[in-house]
Amino acid sequence: MMKHLGKGLLAGASCAALMVAMGSASSSFANDKLNELSKSNENWVMPGKNYSSQNYSPNTQINTENVKQLRAAWSFSTGLLHGHEGTPLVVNGVMYVHTSFPNNTFALDLNDPGHILWQHKPKQDPAARSVACCDLVNRGLAYWPGDGKVPALIIKTQLDGHLVALNAETGEEYWKVENGDIKVGQTLTQAPYVIKDLALVGSSGAELGVRGHTTAYNVKTGEQVWRVYATGPDNEVGLADDFNSANPHYGQKGLGTGTWEGDAWKIGGGTNWGWYAYDPETNLFHYGSGNPAPWNETMRPGDNKWTMTIWGRDADTGKAKFGYQKTPHDEWDYAGVNVMILSEQTDKAGKKRKLLTHPDRNGIVYTLDRENGDLVSANKLDDTVNWVKQVDLKTGLPVRDPEFGTRMDHKGKEICPSAMGYHNQGHDSYDPTKELFFMGINHICMDWEPFMLPYRAGQFFVGATLWMYPGPKGDRQNYLGLGQIKAYNAISGDYKWEKMERFSVWGGTLATAGNLVFYGTLDGFIKARNSDTGELLWKYKLPSGVIGHPMTYEHKGTQYVAIMYGVGGWPGVGLVFDLQDPTAGLGAVGAFKNLQNYTQMGGGLQVFSLDGKNPYNDLSVGEFDTKG
Amino acid sequence: MTKTIVTLAASAVILAVGAGVAGAYDGTKCKAAGVCWEPKPGYPEKVAGSKYDPKHNPAELAKQQKSLDDQAARNAKRSAHFQKTGKWVYDVSKIQ
Repeated sequence: MMKHLGKGLLAGASCAALMVAMGSASSSFANDKLNELSKSNENWVMPGKNYSSQNYSPNTQINTENVKQLRAAWSFSTGLLHGHEGTPLVVNGVMYVHTSFPNNTFALDLNDPGHILWQHKPKQDPAARSVACCDLVNRGLAYWPGDGKVPALIIKTQLDGHLVALNAETGEEYWKVENGDIKVGQTLTQAPYVIKDLALVGSSGAELGVRGHTTAYNVKTGEQVWRVYATGPDNEVGLADDFNSANPHYGQKGLGTGTWEGDAWKIGGGTNWGWYAYDPETNLFHYGSGNPAPWNETMRPGDNKWTMTIWGRDADTGKAKFGYQKTPHDEWDYAGVNVMILSEQTDKAGKKRKLLTHPDRNGIVYTLDRENGDLVSANKLDDTVNWVKQVDLKTGLPVRDPEFGTRMDHKGKEICPSAMGYHNQGHDSYDPTKELFFMGINHICMDWEPFMLPYRAGQFFVGATLWMYPGPKGDRQNYLGLGQIKAYNAISGDYKWEKMERFSVWGGTLATAGNLVFYGTLDGFIKARNSDTGELLWKYKLPSGVIGHPMTYEHKGTQYVAIMYGVGGWPGVGLVFDLQDPTAGLGAVGAFKNLQNYTQMGGGLQVFSLDGKNPYNDLSVGEFDTKG
Repeated sequence: MTKTIVTLAASAVILAVGAGVAGAYDGTKCKAAGVCWEPKPGYPEKVAGSKYDPKHNPAELAKQQKSLDDQAARNAKRSAHFQKTGKWVYDVSKIQ
């Protein structure tokens, strides 16, 4: 039965199961169950498929030999026009689809995907739209598998700052907490993340001076378990006693306030709205904190810790074992929130290590030992990166080129990457059999001119005017050649192959054991390349541009590939709001002024299979049946 | 613009580097571990009182934390009620 929910703020909840067993005895059970579910080709239980966030499927049914036979199987319109980032989840034969604002959620029966099992349509304060930084996107959902007493839950974020748990079977609201307040600029766009019986969620709004935080809630009760901040006193940042003991040169105590002037850390940004990864063996989860606020660097002297930091935090307490700041005293909005992909590889010295690889906005792809934060490699995403000459692996410090620094009373020119980064929020993939990362890249540079402005809670607090344009390898005359796709080895630092794209590869990639890498493009194609060579093997034109990442699942013996379309996000902000000033949209409008000639708005999901095989090949499926 | 290239010695102990190296900010001259920012030539070490003073209003700076504390207090009431009754009530004015 279809249920229309979210009619009011008073959320009814089924009683009996809720009143008992709010403890954490089953917490490891939830981990085990999610892990088990994630191993199946039939499931995609979190945005990166599993806790390692590899976006990799061992399924070989679709492969280099037959990918040309991929055809549309079925589709689903979300009914919304704005940008659709992220990817849907599939659990036990049900697909859960999220949308842009107002953040509707749909559950689809994969036996008959034309039948919406339930839908959750929250009523939000429309004012939330006015404090969203970059279109009205949302990056996805989390799934908690239930424990026999509390039902399985879908956890979602709303732009207005709420974190909501839904009964995965019925769509009813189970609990709903406030995790942000749009009146002071706090919003949510992130996909939440489940570890044990905790729902983790970050924060958005650094462009409004929001002080970033990460919070864990008990999935069974909605009770806050811990909260840590990116800036401020050590106890609020949540530093463990042995914080950075393996790398004291990264900095240790007292720097969350000591590297700021006065109370500037209170409005210092460092929000995190990107992707998380988790290692059940170390019990550490990893994510990146974002840019300091405001963008005008002259207004905030200091290293501005701990913005722009790769974290390794204990899942139970939130306490940080290590923190590595990639871009101290950011001058370019290289927000450090991008994907963290976990792998186990042998380093150059022959030592098997647990690694974390992170393609950063600042144009460097970092690989760290995720047990202690040791820097293993740090290479440029493209040889045109110019703000930094190199990253010193021993000190961890970027050696900046002062020519491309920014400051008041100065217009910086030809800075690469632009504020959008050479990589942004796209969820990339890793093929463990090839030890290759497949990365969607922006190829955009910029001019940057700061200006002074006061801080007023709930108002934009940026302080810079930007002009963006294609990087040196693009077509600057026609504003094309704004993206790349690359295959990268984090140990050797080599790129096995790379290809230019007309626009940014904004959404990320999917790798499969079929020797394939899939990704979507802003101009509305889904493409499949040979993951060994980069050869383009298949593509399909979607109704609108792509800013999310593909996923794959198997259902009743058939492998499907699914991708959300719906152009928007930061690169599409000019298109979706019909902006003309090239500096509008924080500089994106100029760079993507030609995007409107290749695609238009419209959100939905497109699913593919070999020869288009789908549940409706059985003509009786989905037909009206008087027997009910 | 003059480019000053500073090659950092291959040492994990970076703290002692620094004091006497003139030139633009390249991020490698550290006063202490993790403290490597320095003002760019012609720009102040502290902006308070300078032409770049953002003149932050303490009342504005306090608003975010006040809001978060208030949110957390309301959430605590909701969760406590939920654990007691099995019903999630969002509107805290309706929680006894």
